[in-house]
Formats: sequence, structure tokens, C-alpha cells
Amino acid sequence: MSVTDVRITAEPIDNGRCKFLVSEPLHVGGVRRFATPDEARGSPLAEAIFAIPGADVSEVIVSANLVTVVKRSPAPWPVVGKAVGQAIRAALAGGQPPVASKPAATSTPGSATADDALYERVADLFDSQVNPMVARHGGRVELIDVQDAVVMVRMAGGCQGCGMADVTLRQGIEAMLQQYVPEVKGIVDITDHAAGSNPYFAAAKK
Amino acid sequence: MLRPDSPRLLLLLPTVTYRTVAFIEAARRLGVAVTVASERPSTFERANPAGLVTFDFADPAHAAEQARAFARTHLVHGVVAVDDDTAVVAAAIAEELGLRGNPVAAARAARDKHRQRQLLAAAGVAVPRFELLPTAADPERAARGASYPCVLKPSCLSASRGVIRADTPAEFVAAFERIKRILEQAAPASRSLLVEEFVPGREVAVEGLVSKGALQVFAIFDKPDPLDGPFFEETIYVTPSRLARTAQQEIAACAQAAVTALGLREGPIHAEVRHNHRGAWLIELAARPIGGRCSGALRFDTRETGKGKGETLSLEEIIIRHALDMPIPTLEREAQASGVMMIPVPGPGVLRDVRGVNAAGAVPLIESVEITAHPGQTLVPWPEGSRYLGFIFARGETSEAVEAALRAAHASLEFLLEAAD
Repeated sequence: MSVTDVRITAEPIDNGRCKFLVSEPLHVGGVRRFATPDEARGSPLAEAIFAIPGADVSEVIVSANLVTVVKRSPAPWPVVGKAVGQAIRAALAGGQPPVASKPAATSTPGSATADDALYERVADLFDSQVNPMVARHGGRVELIDVQDAVVMVRMAGGCQGCGMADVTLRQGIEAMLQQYVPEVKGIVDITDHAAGSNPYFAAAKK
Repeated sequence: MLRPDSPRLLLLLPTVTYRTVAFIEAARRLGVAVTVASERPSTFERANPAGLVTFDFADPAHAAEQARAFARTHLVHGVVAVDDDTAVVAAAIAEELGLRGNPVAAARAARDKHRQRQLLAAAGVAVPRFELLPTAADPERAARGASYPCVLKPSCLSASRGVIRADTPAEFVAAFERIKRILEQAAPASRSLLVEEFVPGREVAVEGLVSKGALQVFAIFDKPDPLDGPFFEETIYVTPSRLARTAQQEIAACAQAAVTALGLREGPIHAEVRHNHRGAWLIELAARPIGGRCSGALRFDTRETGKGKGETLSLEEIIIRHALDMPIPTLEREAQASGVMMIPVPGPGVLRDVRGVNAAGAVPLIESVEITAHPGQTLVPWPEGSRYLGFIFARGETSEAVEAALRAAHASLEFLLEAAD
């Protein structure tokens, strides 16, 4: 497939964050989160997105065929989004993987080792409390990864595309994380909500 | 991380709203503690009793009692509604807790199309001639007494649901029976519908914020697709309006007169106004912000006012700031033209796929294409339906360019439907 055939759909969450759904996988080894240009070194896609002029990108998260970009600039997504699209196509056309594999764990505080420990605690919380709760609405929340103390989740079943998914994420899951695993710094939803085929609550215009 | 002294917002979110993400994320950006109230319980309610509550949205007085009980343990500083139903609930809660809001009577009047017209007509606001008809009435007799063309509509539904034009007595009777069937499904307690004069002219939407009874108009949106019936499904909104300045002044004055006549004091409004050679006519006014995801077409930019350093605000941030009496850096909309298309339902059936989203997004000036209908969803066209397929947003130098971009993007989309069982 030529990169010109690659389909990219932008889904702005707000003026600071936007998800880009790509028809081709960008990274098959779980999730990678980059919070600085330094962390992006060796991953051409993330390097290119951090280098977009005027965007002031602060975070790039790549999972399978989904790229989440967080920016500080007030520049509108139509401008920044097109540059992100170009970066995605260029990365797919390049000779090396768009995103490098996750580096091996080190013992530095706040590093992958600490994230691994956090992952275990968050996974326990998801198994024991979060998933039994969302299961009552036919939902499921998958813990994808913990990087730099930021939890990445993917919603499925009744949660995927649900009109109240953001309430579940912020008022439910994030609140529980603050209570039970206060070391967690944030939570990122990498769900493709547009693909949800059985949302528990579907929206209507009013 | 919230500060201990963060103000607490009570956000009334019906479970079927499109507005969840916009309001929740706006509150997060403002560092506001949020309590989400819905009409059905979240599965996390016990885990986060400060952040999630269930209120009786069908009974505003009861909801106000529930809010009072909640406020005994969690101080509430503001309440925000996101749609027509919760606007009345928010008013009741605001009165109960002494928060910024509308009088309950005013919110109720805005919610009831007949009561609204009575108050507007009494105050001298131009409204179509109207008559309330019980659903038990004899439609053939009513049709004989009607003037044509006329519009029949439920007195309580939103989003142009159940609104039908009739040009003849036969069409009147057919519309009457059809609306009765819609009401039986959507609002079984409703026992009446409204028959009103069809007002020809250009229709616009007015968005604004009321503070101490004074309306600040944010935007007048042109609706370039003619809304002449027989049904009134909305499609394109573009601002700034291309109507003459004097026409826009008349429209803004009409909206302010309606706000005053209804007694609205605080919060967002969304009004439908028609303009013709006789001036501005108030079709409807709601005590809530623009519906669906259309608020994405509004952006407020302090760079235009010199009051900040490039801060961009969403409509939801302004509404929350107003409810909590926080400073509002700007009420000026960005300089460039902006528009949204509510993607129309192409016909009845089950949605299987939407193609061409990439091509639509690649049309110059298109900002995003958001498909909100999900695969497998049963699509119901207007007048029975009220759910769009999604939304297309565009921004550009002129309203003409934005409208053309929205039409071009829509033309790129292909919807694959299967017949419903």
C-alpha cells in the first residue's frame, strides 16, 4: 500500500489534545508515550511530531494505529493536524519503524522499573474493582501500559463509544486511581470510540 | 491536581448528551472540582460519592431536594445544565442553593413552546400566530380552521423532532397523526401540540450568554440550507452571518426582547430567529447552549482583544466560568469564519459503514469530521429521528468559503446502510 492510500482521521478532544486514527499500524509493541523531544529520539514519528513548528507539542502517545498528540499552542488543529498527518505518512514511508521499541527497564527512580511496580498495582485495582464496576454496563477497561506514571487504558464493550465514557474515565477510574494509587500522575484513554458498535449510552442532539 | 479550595461545579449531564467530553475537559482545564449528576446511576457512584450523583431529572423540585442533601456534605459553587430538560432542573437547584441561575418559572417557560409564545406575544415580541391543540382534538375539524401554510410541532421536544409543515388540510391531518405517534414514543405524558403560522424568511441561530438579564450575543449563525419544510432537519451553521448589519441588529434585539419577556437572568441561550422584510421573528429560544457537538464551531480568542497572551477558550469554559463567577477573559469570538454541518440522515436503515472520511477531512478548510453514529446503529430520519450521523467542522477566511468546504466534505462521504428489520 502506498502512503497516499493511508487513511488518517483526526478526532480533536479539545484544543489541546487530538487523536489520529490511522488505517495502518504504526507500532505493534504495546504503547509508547513520549513526553519530551529527548524521549522521542530514535522514533521518527515522535521526533517529527515534536518538531512541528509552532505547535509546542508536549506529549505523543502511539498505540497500534492510534496517535494521540497533546500540544500547548493555541494553534488550531486544522493547521497542526495536517502537519501531524504529514509526519505519520513520512514515518510510514521511511525505512525504519515509526516508533522504536520500549527501552529495557533500568533502576533509576521514576523509570520503567517504577512504572512496572505501578502497573502491577493498577492492574490489581482494575481486576478487583474497576472492571467489575464497568461490567455492570457491559463494559471493559483494558490496562495497556504505565509510562512515566501515566496510565494508558483502552475501553471496550459498552464503554467503547459510550456517551458517558469520559465521565467513567475522569469521575470513576481516575478518581479511584487518585485514591488507591496516588503516585499515578494521569490517565490517557487511547480508545477508538468511533468504532464502538454497542455503546451503553448513545447520544442524541438536544 | 485539584487544590483544596477549588470551586465545585454541579454538572447536569443526561446520559444521552453529546456534551460530556466538552464540559468535563473544560472543567479540568479550569481546575474545577466536578460533580456529575445524571438521571441514571454511574457504576462508580459508590466509589466516588463526591463526583457522581443521580438526580431525578424528571422532577426538578425533587432534584433540587437531592442537590440540597448533597450540598450538606459537599459545598457547591455553581450549577450548569447542558440541554433543555436539565435547564429547568438547574434553575430549581440554583434557587434551592442560592446559586447563579435562572428563575424556575423562566426556565420552564423557555422549555414549553406554548408558554414561551404566550409570554413573547404578550411582551410584543414578534412570534408566529399560534394555537395549542390537544392530541385528543379532531384533526379534520382543526384542519378546516387552520391558515396555510402552517407548522405543527410537539410543544416539548427538541432538535426539530416532530416538526412538520402543512400546506393543505390533508397534510395537516397527516402531520397531526404523525406527531401523535411520535409523542406516544418520545413523550407519552405530553397531551398537546402547537399549530403555528409558517414564517417565510432566512433562519439564523443566535448564541449568547445572559448575565443579570442582559444578553451578550456571541454569534449569529446563518443556516444556508432553506428550512421551508416539510421537515426541519438542520444541516449547516456558518458564522459570521452574511445578513446585513441592520438585520443582524434586529435579530439580536429580538433575542434580547425574548430573554427579557421570559425572565431569563443568567446563563447561555440558543435561539432560532427568522428574518424577512417585516423584521425579526422569534421562532424558539432555549435556556441552554447550542446542541450536539456544534459548540466546536465556537472559539474565543483573547489575542483579538489584547487581554491575554493567546489564550483560547471554548464555549463550555465560558459557561462554567460564568456559573462559578470566575473571571471571563473574553466574550469575543475568534476573527475567522467558522461552520459546522450536522451530517443528515440519508434514509432509514442500519448503518454499516461510512466511507470517504479521509477524503472529507482532506478538503481544504475542514478541521475535523466526527462520525458519532456507530456501526449497527438504526438510523431514523426526521421528523421521527433526532440523532445525526456526525459533525463536520470548518474554519476559513470567509463564511462563503467555509460553507463551500462543508458541502464539499459532505459530498465526499458515502454511507452504507442496510434495511432495518
